[in-house]
Amino acid sequence: MLQIQFFSLIRMLLKRDAIDIPWADGDTVQSVLEKTQQQIATPFLHKLLDEQGAPHAGTIILVNRKNILHLQGLQTPVADGDVLAFFPPGAGG
Amino acid sequence: MAEPDRYDRQVLHWGAKRQQIIQKSSLLIAGVGGLGATVSQLLVRSGIGRLYLVDDGRLDWPDLNRQTLYGEKDVGRPKLPLAKERLNQINASTEIIELHGRIDDAFEVPVDVAGVADCLDNYQSRFALYRAVPKGTYFVHGGLSGDHGQVLTLKAGESQPFDEVFAGAVQPQDNIPVTPDNVVIIAGLMVNELFRILWKTPKLLDRCLVVDLDDFNMAFLDI
Repeated sequence: MLQIQFFSLIRMLLKRDAIDIPWADGDTVQSVLEKTQQQIATPFLHKLLDEQGAPHAGTIILVNRKNILHLQGLQTPVADGDVLAFFPPGAGG
Repeated sequence: MAEPDRYDRQVLHWGAKRQQIIQKSSLLIAGVGGLGATVSQLLVRSGIGRLYLVDDGRLDWPDLNRQTLYGEKDVGRPKLPLAKERLNQINASTEIIELHGRIDDAFEVPVDVAGVADCLDNYQSRFALYRAVPKGTYFVHGGLSGDHGQVLTLKAGESQPFDEVFAGAVQPQDNIPVTPDNVVIIAGLMVNELFRILWKTPKLLDRCLVVDLDDFNMAFLDI
């Protein structure tokens, strides 16, 4: 099982702070995102990805606390038990 | 009430020993705008020993909704000497040291600070600030947009670097919405954590407190 955590505007949009998704061999961040959208039945990938399917600047995606931009991006493999977090931080002050 | 009674109400809460630590400690406040004006003010009211301030901006009208050290007559003036003047008026026993210049890769953090408060409003400066933090020194980040904000503590050299955690967090092109109430709440949380790092008991080390004020939700994001 994978735990998917939602923070800030993503949490508000999806009206939940976490969801468990069954893990399958070969899963990546990309495939988990698609499965998550399917399970929640609320379109949200457009908030995270641009038209080319790349992550929008502004939303941090972590796998086990590591930013996927320092891993393999959306193609980062995920293992059973991993925790994925989606967090759009506030930039102002 | 005489000067010796100044800290009575807070000492009732946290005790004389913790008060002494505050009064002997130094912190760097990066940015004396929305977050930094309140963070520095609360620290000075608490009796912090020394504050280094850095900010190269001038006060503008849109700053006045939330930058609690300044008023209408200050518009157009550089914030750094204004902040020093106002903080000195609040508590003359805190030593205020102005650091002039920009926060870039040439910036150096004074070695005597126990912590650095990131009260900046853009990621480029935040990343440069973090790179300047000496190993073993705490870095307390605050940021917000509208009803959403966060506070996170990292320890330089031990935690994941700030610019790695926040990689991809690009600055929005448009002005960021910031209201007086929400910025003061995030600033207050930052000060609460700054006290804790002085006492060596941080609550948010490698743990981001994500604050959503539209439904009063707080959650931890482990970093």
